[in-house]
Amino acid sequence: MSQIEFINITKQYGNFKALDNISFTINNGEFIFLVGPSGAGKSTIIKLLIREELSDAGEILFNGKNIKEFTQKEMPDLRRKIGVVFQDFKLLNSKNVFENVSIALEVVNSSETEIKSIVPNVLNLVGLTDKILSFPKQLSGGERQRLCIARALAHEPDVLIADEATGNIDPDASQEILDLLGKINSLGTTVIMATHDERMVDQMKKRVLRLDKGSIISDKKGGKYRE
Amino acid sequence: MTSTFLLLGVFINIVVFSQTALKYLENQAQITIFFKDEFTEEKIKTYQSELHNDPRIMDVSYVSKEDALRIFREMNKDEPILLENISASVLPASLEVKTKDITQLKNISEEFIQKEGVEDVQFFEDVIQRFSVWSRTVYIIGFILVLVFLIVSYSVVVSTIRTSINNRGEELSIMKLVGASDEYVKKPFIYQGVFFGVLSSFIASIIVFLLDLTADKLKIFSDGLSLGFIPGFFISPLIFSLILCFVLILSGFLLGLLGSTTAIKKYLQS
Repeated sequence: MSQIEFINITKQYGNFKALDNISFTINNGEFIFLVGPSGAGKSTIIKLLIREELSDAGEILFNGKNIKEFTQKEMPDLRRKIGVVFQDFKLLNSKNVFENVSIALEVVNSSETEIKSIVPNVLNLVGLTDKILSFPKQLSGGERQRLCIARALAHEPDVLIADEATGNIDPDASQEILDLLGKINSLGTTVIMATHDERMVDQMKKRVLRLDKGSIISDKKGGKYRE
Repeated sequence: MTSTFLLLGVFINIVVFSQTALKYLENQAQITIFFKDEFTEEKIKTYQSELHNDPRIMDVSYVSKEDALRIFREMNKDEPILLENISASVLPASLEVKTKDITQLKNISEEFIQKEGVEDVQFFEDVIQRFSVWSRTVYIIGFILVLVFLIVSYSVVVSTIRTSINNRGEELSIMKLVGASDEYVKKPFIYQGVFFGVLSSFIASIIVFLLDLTADKLKIFSDGLSLGFIPGFFISPLIFSLILCFVLILSGFLLGLLGSTTAIKKYLQS
């Protein structure tokens, strides 16, 4: 069974068709790039997957369950299984690095012992141990994005989505993020990365799902940005 | 919000005080039936026992000519010239009648004015009726104001929590994105609303209690306070004040709970 299945999905905003009857599957532990020009439908796929929005037609299955069937009470559970890293970070500037990660655990009522054990581990994984008491504004763009990844990893999600995660950071920091995502993927987490960064996609030689005007125009394993 | 609860407490007090004052007036001698000199005490007492058996009557007492003289002397003790030529024979005997309901005053008065031996019937119709109208008006206005203040308090809680939600909007959306349940997001706002409501009403309660304590020390209501909706029931001002404080704090708790729940529910639905 595939981990994620998009079956004949259509999503329309007014007269604009963001996704037009697309179907694809993602297996457990895959690394997949979503590429294409702005407005191609990459972000819409992510919004539908975390149920920030609902599709107009078709079904999205996550571990075999239709996402539309998740009740309001089950939604937090879905969001814990799918970690998201955003281009604009979405960090709490009034909280330090440790607190920004621990909030993800506090909201699911994790014990203090669990928090004290998990947070240093994920910060170590993303290389932010020495910045544990810093505030987001004291971090570089790359460090902020690594902090976002750490927060997303706190729940040990099945899937990690990076929505233009390297869009706001310099090339060196982007490379660090890409390496980090590769490392996370090698530990068994499915990674879905929406990006415009051609160099990054070509370098990784992973599955590339290319979109244009809401349709899939190619889906290749070990593909390149422009193939 | 404290001032809203304070006004609420003060208005409830005013309503109860005016009801008590009305009951006090009602309990005073309401009708005085004066008898002609030739009408004997025996015959007057027949009327008295008739009135005793009348279900409309609360109390009836006989005032003899001698009693009337004693009352007259007491009332005019500072005016010796007035007392010089007065004797019991010139003062009429009377019956003082209290009714259970002041609306019966006129009927009873009209019945007695036509009876044999009755010289005159007096009752303070205007004063009692006017006070009754005033007291009822206070009761109605007070009731409306209490409702208005409750609505105002509710709105204050809702807008305070909304402001608080707006200030923490980004934090809340991030919490939701990292998997916070609705319950988790709701809790701090509900605690805040309840705390806000209880604290405001508690401060107001202390002030109301101090006011009532002052009224109690001054012995303004020595017989206790009358609750308009429970006829014949009087309660000690301090016990009334404690109950009122409890009601105010409970209202604060409930308004805080209801207001914050509504505000956060709207946010989560949006």
